[in-house]
Amino acid sequence: MVTRLEQPRGGFNFDNFQRNVSLEQKGIRIPKPIKTGTTIAAIIYKDGVCLGADTRATSGPIVADKNCAKIHYLAPNIYCCGAGTAADTEFTTALISSQLELHRLTTGRQTRLSTARSMLCQMLFKYQGHVSAALIIGGYDVNGPNLYSVMPHGSVDNVPFMTMGSGSLAAMAVFERSWRKDLERQEAIDLVKDAIDAGIFNDLGSGSNVDINVIEKDKVDIYRNYYKPNERAPKEKVYKFKRGTTPILKESIKDILVITEGVEAMDIS
Amino acid sequence: MNPVALYNHDAPISAAQQHQFDPYEMNGGSSLVIKGADYCLIASDTRQSDGYKINSRYVPKAFKLTETAVLATSGFSADGLALFKKLSQNLEWYKHAHDKVMSTPAIAQMLSNTLYYKRFFPYYTFCLLGGIDEQGRGVSYSYDPLGSYGAEPYKSVGHKNQQGVQRTDMSLDTAISIAKDAFTSASERDI
Amino acid sequence: MKPGEVNLGTSLMAVTFKGGIVIGADTRTTSGPYIVNRVTDKLTPIHDRIFACRSGSAADTQAIADIVRLYSEMYSVNFGEDPTIRTAAALFHDICYQNKNALSAGIIVAGWDKYEGGSVYCIPLGGSLHKQPFATAGSGSTYVYGYCDKNFRENMTQQEAVDFVKNGIALSISRDGSSGGCIRIATITEAGVDKIFIPGDQVPTFWNKS
Repeated sequence: MVTRLEQPRGGFNFDNFQRNVSLEQKGIRIPKPIKTGTTIAAIIYKDGVCLGADTRATSGPIVADKNCAKIHYLAPNIYCCGAGTAADTEFTTALISSQLELHRLTTGRQTRLSTARSMLCQMLFKYQGHVSAALIIGGYDVNGPNLYSVMPHGSVDNVPFMTMGSGSLAAMAVFERSWRKDLERQEAIDLVKDAIDAGIFNDLGSGSNVDINVIEKDKVDIYRNYYKPNERAPKEKVYKFKRGTTPILKESIKDILVITEGVEAMDIS
Repeated sequence: MNPVALYNHDAPISAAQQHQFDPYEMNGGSSLVIKGADYCLIASDTRQSDGYKINSRYVPKAFKLTETAVLATSGFSADGLALFKKLSQNLEWYKHAHDKVMSTPAIAQMLSNTLYYKRFFPYYTFCLLGGIDEQGRGVSYSYDPLGSYGAEPYKSVGHKNQQGVQRTDMSLDTAISIAKDAFTSASERDI
Repeated sequence: MKPGEVNLGTSLMAVTFKGGIVIGADTRTTSGPYIVNRVTDKLTPIHDRIFACRSGSAADTQAIADIVRLYSEMYSVNFGEDPTIRTAAALFHDICYQNKNALSAGIIVAGWDKYEGGSVYCIPLGGSLHKQPFATAGSGSTYVYGYCDKNFRENMTQQEAVDFVKNGIALSISRDGSSGGCIRIATITEAGVDKIFIPGDQVPTFWNKS
């Protein structure tokens, strides 16, 4: 019987922390988390915000995922680009988006960006930078289009254009060159695309395709793989193993039977 | 003032720090050799990188040593270049001393010796040597940074279990296609 | 500062004058050698006539300011009266002192209240609290102590106080590598808050004209 004390609590579980520390001291290498060596960028334009991201996830020098999605859902009117440890960006955004949904059901109002911002930075500050998620939050609420950037230690910036991740310098160079106030929709999309493109080609941690997300009043457009500058080159030859390459050494076919005798009563104590 | 207060025994004492000399860099890159009955194919990419940064999109790392031998490197670019210069110089001296060009198998041995000569301050290069021997056959050699080398390093292991696989002589055209495919595949998964 | 943490390498000034206070700051936020934000607003509103000027870790000082803003709001709701600058400063002081081992925050609290008029409080790294006629803080402050000591006078006019702060920040920016960008200034009097923004190309220059 599960007592009340043994019931699992919500949040992170630190049970294995001490064990892992001693394993590390014994010289066992801990598994390397997948980092999204990333270029993410976003700008505010005349009637909305435009978010962009590359699609490469890396594990050391290896490309772990050639086409991952780094623009996450937070609320119907708010999306969020994530850089840092892949798992951290995915789980923090998922956690906050579920809290925001409950918040909407409680208040019966559209979610504001400042709410999402506060929840994210309070969570990241609580974990003192150990949850390494660098986020750009973009959306449209009662105050119009808005953009926040949240750093892993929990600091926030409110700016008209922002880039993050290992390719942020390349992308910021493009923004600093061409950003203007009150861009048109297509100009904004093109500028974000160019910024991500600069990250893809000049930063080895970023690569593959460009994802774009445009949020306006009561309208969200998701352009997954908006631009594909790295189409897979067709192979000149076919590398398929012929049937029978792996020999069958012995063969036996068995019917699998599951026999259950009686029905166990449910523990309702 | 209490003189004892002059000495704060609780203050953290910083440990002695040893100065580190780290002259190496990893500039990445991929090279490949395929040898056939009467040819040898050597291929390399041309990117030179440092971590997440691209130093140049065109720094070749395959070098022509003689009319019948090519050296392909990867690892520390500067060491690769230094090694090539050293080998070129030795080949020049050999030519003047013996009035003939060094054979590819002989270059293979010389490369090994050159690498091992710097056993305790090695060239940080991973070398491949490909070419044609004195009988006109394709030859290829691969090296570790200290000079250990073998003539047929990539004989696939474990194909006892692959009954369908046959070792057939490959035409040069097939080899070129495979080399291209290998590089396009590698560029998809290696940053 | 932990590795990778966002830093407010900063030049901050606050000064009392006849009718209130003037605060000023540069706008640079850095992470290592990279400028994360070149138009940061380090003058953080705490209440109607109370501002905090933040230096140190961006995350730490924002978190503290958020808490004090909440407390100040609750104070005015509960007591039907604005908190005094002393009250707000005491709240900052409390948090900074109790958590001094976990925080890197240097904060100036300034504003106007009906009991004491304009006042400036400084809370440096250890979490102590100092009431001062004027205060400087942040990495750039070391370069302008001389300027401040020479040029500060009590009961300046508003314009004199604004010029004092503007020139002080400009001098500090010109010597401190981790301060820079533009200058933001706020004047707080009984009438309310007046904010001034000085773009990078209009920051005062001196003998070296750079």
